[in-house]
Amino acid sequence: MAQKITVIVIERSYLLRSGIEGLLKEFQGMHLAEIYDGTEKNLIQKINTLKPDCVIVNPKAITDSLNTFVRSVNNEATVIGLISGNTADHIKSRFANTLHIKDGKHELMNSLSQIIGRKKNNKAPNKNQPLTERELTVLKNITLGLTNQEVAEKLFLSIHTVMTHRKNITKKLGIKTVSGLTVYALLNKVIDIQDIEQ
Amino acid sequence: MRIEKDMKLADVIHHDFSLIPVINRFGIHLGFGDGTIEEICIKKSVNTEFFLTILNTYHDPQYFPKKHLQSFHTATLIEYLKKAHQFYTEQKIPEIQNLIFRLTEESAQHKDRYQLALNFFKEYQEEFTRHIDREEKLVYPYIYELEKVIESGKVPEKLIRRMEAYSIMDYEDEHDNVEEKLFDLKNLIIKYLPAPSNESTSYRILLELFDLEKDLREHARIEDMILVPKVEAMEFTIQKMIR
Ligand SMILES: [Fe+2]
Ligand SMILES: [Fe+2]
Repeated sequence: MAQKITVIVIERSYLLRSGIEGLLKEFQGMHLAEIYDGTEKNLIQKINTLKPDCVIVNPKAITDSLNTFVRSVNNEATVIGLISGNTADHIKSRFANTLHIKDGKHELMNSLSQIIGRKKNNKAPNKNQPLTERELTVLKNITLGLTNQEVAEKLFLSIHTVMTHRKNITKKLGIKTVSGLTVYALLNKVIDIQDIEQ
Repeated sequence: MRIEKDMKLADVIHHDFSLIPVINRFGIHLGFGDGTIEEICIKKSVNTEFFLTILNTYHDPQYFPKKHLQSFHTATLIEYLKKAHQFYTEQKIPEIQNLIFRLTEESAQHKDRYQLALNFFKEYQEEFTRHIDREEKLVYPYIYELEKVIESGKVPEKLIRRMEAYSIMDYEDEHDNVEEKLFDLKNLIIKYLPAPSNESTSYRILLELFDLEKDLREHARIEDMILVPKVEAMEFTIQKMIR
């Protein structure tokens, strides 16, 4: 199954909301999880529980400080600003990417597909990846040749915890040996071939 | 099904054709005719009891070859184990390696990824060779020496020291699981490598891996359940001789 890109939109204007919705429908593998108007209570929490890949937001819809908003959104998500001609530069610069409401369909599609393309590439290593962040870190260090003891010291974990992680990694992946895990890590870009050749 | 000496060997093979490489190790090859197991064993000068024990061990994972333990010479057992080693290193492993190599050739698109599998298998091959070398160059000579000492009735000082430093119990402990990497490789192919352009090559690799894995499992069972207890008994005899 292809990895889906989860999108959240924050915009007050009904016309703009429908417009974005229509635009997103034209992309494959996009999932518009929710549309907010910006006035919802605990907006940040609501957004983060949906684990979005992209948040498209009109800065005018945000009631709190935009700065706080951008910083509080889960850092895995790309925040895309929905801006107009009179949006101030210091606001534009808060966003990783921007979409201009006056742009034509073609330009909008172009910018969106670029943003999504980058997202998908970053997401590719996570395909088939049932491991947690911690397990990934442990896996990475083991496949780079560190012993359990060394991994424990490096990550400030007890050796017992490292062994538990290893056991879980093996159980989840169905791979028992370090060399097998190394192949897995290379195939899934957890590590790079140059890393182990050093 | 328990395999018995008055069964026709051909019927047994029809029932479980994975035994073909096993009978080959005894010098019995296809085209063996219509005889019973006993008839064919006599013709080929094979110890029938031993032959049956090995066949049953392979055929039935529940089979526990206890009561036949003392009935064969160590040399018979070791010769058999060496033949099996030869089959793995000269036939089975090169075959699998060729197939994986073919996989890299067939899919230019994913060549570097399949190359990882090939390197992984080469590493396995080296590890496996080390395991077998250890058995043939260290463990088996040790067993032959024990046998010689028991026959002569004299225990040389050197052997006493050697037994103190190394006993067959250590071998049992360090008899590491040589199947682990095969298990990993199966999962890499089934779950993580990209889809091959020629499915049948991957299928054949998997067939071979399942087959080798089973063979090695029974091989290790024979080593752990027949060879090791036999040698333990010999060590015990010698210890009694010293006292
Ligand atoms: Fe062996
Ligand atoms: Fe062995």
